[in-house]
Amino acid sequence: MEEKKLPDVLKKETTRRDFLRGTAAAAGSAIAVTAIGGIAPKKAEAQYSVQTAPGTKPYAQKYRFAERQNCTGCRSCEFACSLFHTGNVRPALSRIYLAKYKDIVDVPVMCWHCDDAPCIAACPTTPKAIQKDPKTNGIVLNEKICLGAKCMKCQEACPAKYIRGNADTGQPLICDLCGGDPQCVKACMEQAGNPQGPCLQGRPVGIGVNMAFRDVTPDQAGKDLANLLFYPNVEGKRVVPAKTKTKKGR
Amino acid sequence: MATPKGGNFGKVLEIDLSKQTFKTRPVSDEILQQYIGGRGLGAYYAVTEYKAGKNALDEDAFVFVGPGPLSGTMAVSHRTCFAHKSPYTGLMTHAETGAHLASEIKFAGWDGLYIKGRARKPIWLSIVNDKVEFKDASKMWGKTTDETHEMMVKEMKDPEIRTAVIGPAGENGVPFACIIVERYRAAARSGTGMVFGDKKLKGFAVRGTKYAVPVADNAKFLAAARVNKEGNMQGEAWEGIKKWGTGGLMELKHFLHGSLIVKNYTTTWYPDVVKLGGEEAMRTFWKRHAACTNCPTHCLKLGVIRGGKYSGLVAEGPEYESGGLLGTNLGMTKFDEMIALIEACDAYGLDNISTGGVLGFATEAMEKGALKPTDLDGLKPKWNDGDTYMEMIRKIAYQEGKAGKLMAKGVKKMAQQIGKGSEAYANHVKGKELAAHDPRGDKIRAYSYTMGTCGGDHHEGQGPQALGMTAMADSLCICSFTNFLVYGAGTDKVTTDMLNPLCGWNWKTEDYWTTAKRIMTAERVFNVREGISSKDDRLPIRMYKEKLPAGPRKDAIFTDADQKDMETKTYNFFGWDAKGIPTEATLKAYGLDYLIADVNAAKKKYNL
Ligand code: SF4
Ligand code: SF4
Ligand code: SF4
Ligand code: SF4
Repeated sequence: MEEKKLPDVLKKETTRRDFLRGTAAAAGSAIAVTAIGGIAPKKAEAQYSVQTAPGTKPYAQKYRFAERQNCTGCRSCEFACSLFHTGNVRPALSRIYLAKYKDIVDVPVMCWHCDDAPCIAACPTTPKAIQKDPKTNGIVLNEKICLGAKCMKCQEACPAKYIRGNADTGQPLICDLCGGDPQCVKACMEQAGNPQGPCLQGRPVGIGVNMAFRDVTPDQAGKDLANLLFYPNVEGKRVVPAKTKTKKGR
Repeated sequence: MATPKGGNFGKVLEIDLSKQTFKTRPVSDEILQQYIGGRGLGAYYAVTEYKAGKNALDEDAFVFVGPGPLSGTMAVSHRTCFAHKSPYTGLMTHAETGAHLASEIKFAGWDGLYIKGRARKPIWLSIVNDKVEFKDASKMWGKTTDETHEMMVKEMKDPEIRTAVIGPAGENGVPFACIIVERYRAAARSGTGMVFGDKKLKGFAVRGTKYAVPVADNAKFLAAARVNKEGNMQGEAWEGIKKWGTGGLMELKHFLHGSLIVKNYTTTWYPDVVKLGGEEAMRTFWKRHAACTNCPTHCLKLGVIRGGKYSGLVAEGPEYESGGLLGTNLGMTKFDEMIALIEACDAYGLDNISTGGVLGFATEAMEKGALKPTDLDGLKPKWNDGDTYMEMIRKIAYQEGKAGKLMAKGVKKMAQQIGKGSEAYANHVKGKELAAHDPRGDKIRAYSYTMGTCGGDHHEGQGPQALGMTAMADSLCICSFTNFLVYGAGTDKVTTDMLNPLCGWNWKTEDYWTTAKRIMTAERVFNVREGISSKDDRLPIRMYKEKLPAGPRKDAIFTDADQKDMETKTYNFFGWDAKGIPTEATLKAYGLDYLIADVNAAKKKYNL
């Protein structure tokens, strides 16, 4: 089943890359766009979305992936998630959230929907208070049986240090993939992270790479990202005033 | 007094620094409908609570920190406005900034922060939902803005707090000191930093987890917010700003518009701009794009310098204004040195624009002999001298020596003090330095500089309608890039369509305009009470006297006819008389009857 799908995914990838190459060529002229126009208005969703490449059918988004260096820290994912789950915009209740690292990068912290799901394995209740929905691969919380703040074994077990507590109920905030239509992915595609493309993406398969990403804490992910982008100043320290400061304020 | 149905809680957090107390200051839906939030609400508090001649640094003087009704909702891009009386210009002022502060204030359950009083010792505020703590800032005093931010994060053990802090410049009473928000964003141009410094308030940190902004009609509002977002994604401005921030405008305004300022506004032609602008930054510097809340435009660009004497410098910019004022305005040719100047201003908490204006003025004055090195503690600024400029910035921030004290006065007072014909090239409007758009090359920008409330400001609106739309955007606390610069003439509808279901109002598009004019006029009355009239709504002398010597707009000059035309169009649009004083009929039409007596008193006092 999955083997059959794989070439398809790669093909869609190519479509997107081709598009990006086109963007790069147009980059030189993009500067004039604000004043004199040039690029015809486009829908970001259509531009960047892997799933809506022309002539292809949307596929199930059973896993997500984050192209972390593309995250702008816009919080649209938090907004969309909390709106979908609570009917209100309240990032504190979002099932995805941003972690700042040294004020130079933002890391979207999210559930990887691990196939081995250590969180579920650690859940002490019978039946388990958190379970995977076999159709969507999302993790669904049964609020009636979850032990909440006094337990949080799931939180301890998650290698990604992803799970937060719900500020109102004390129960874990966990990602149910919005019943198969991840709102955060949509929101991020619209924001289109940066000119390189969106940060969040939905996938039919985990492609293994999730494990490598999963096993780092948000802090480590931030460190990696800072290293990647801001070398040699991976701590983001300010260097100018330190050189010139001679006197304290009066 | 009706409580708001949505968009607002009807609660402003009032903080008294003298007594170290806080309370809820209720705000009714009627007032919110008339003054919206942010800039408008701040103006309302100022005109109703202050008498003419109020000292901006009085103990009970306030700073209003406002989000607006759209902050913390699905509307695109949320900004924060700091509104107060400026200690720099003596006029009503408002400083807007991006980042995530506005929505965080909303999630903490507040429609704004009203901060007054003066602490005896340096303090800072932690605001977590309903809880306010007054914290000792003695260890933070003297620290740069980034260090202060970091100390707050450490103490609150939460990297997601949103901070607004001052640096040494604010502490030392530099009148163009700014507030730095979340390390990279500035609420500048108003002297807010000086007010904080005077209040011994190092800054505040906000964390909101408890509340969501109420929405009167969710389905309708979400549909309207959708239109708002899609318009942004499809707009052409989106593509440009997204990729290049405003830094890319440096080349554009130079090569096409002929309006990029160069060497204290002596010309707009400076081909070396290619070493400083967006394209250079894109190639060698920018590493990351960052956005304000829920904004698809992510105009903030972060980069790192690799190699050279500033290797490892992480900084935000250049933006059009910061790159203009501290780059081309100073005849810079080295990208890293320009970035270092920008970063130093941010670290010390100095307004990039006014500081650049001062440095440019001082350099020309030195060239023309009006200033001597002895006036500047031996410093001899010349164009492209990054090291000297760096030292001057430091001196300003600490008001160090003769040089620091002189330059911290700002261009207007410097020219008054040194004389020798320097007024002819002292570029300011109402005592505030201009931004990076030369109004001879970009004539419509003159509206913003002269007709706007704050004076010398590039972001007040180009043209009468735009002045109104900016007043609205700053009161709604949304970004002009995602509002009227996208929607143009359709802005009133897009905005009204969001406000009605959000707040449960019954606005027609006319109400959008009445409100815009009401806010502008209330601010104008505030300034008229301080003696402002058409005689002050003028550009610097240079703009009327010297033609642009080169560039795409060679020979352009701002004529008396241009001035007259601008005055007529603006005053007519807002219902002000030929001297720029709001008429009685206008005040009545906007529900500002309570200001009629004030205007009459001012007219008598200043013979208007
Ligand atoms: S929507 Fe995308 S770019 Fe924005 S914060 Fe979330 S992950 Fe980052
Ligand atoms: S990432 Fe964490 S929460 Fe998500 S499935 Fe894996 S262990 Fe569970
Ligand atoms: S907090 Fe709830 S979901 Fe998590 S491990 Fe305990 S019972 Fe299971
Ligand atoms: S997939 Fe849905 S539940 Fe999961 S983080 Fe995204 S929006 Fe939230």
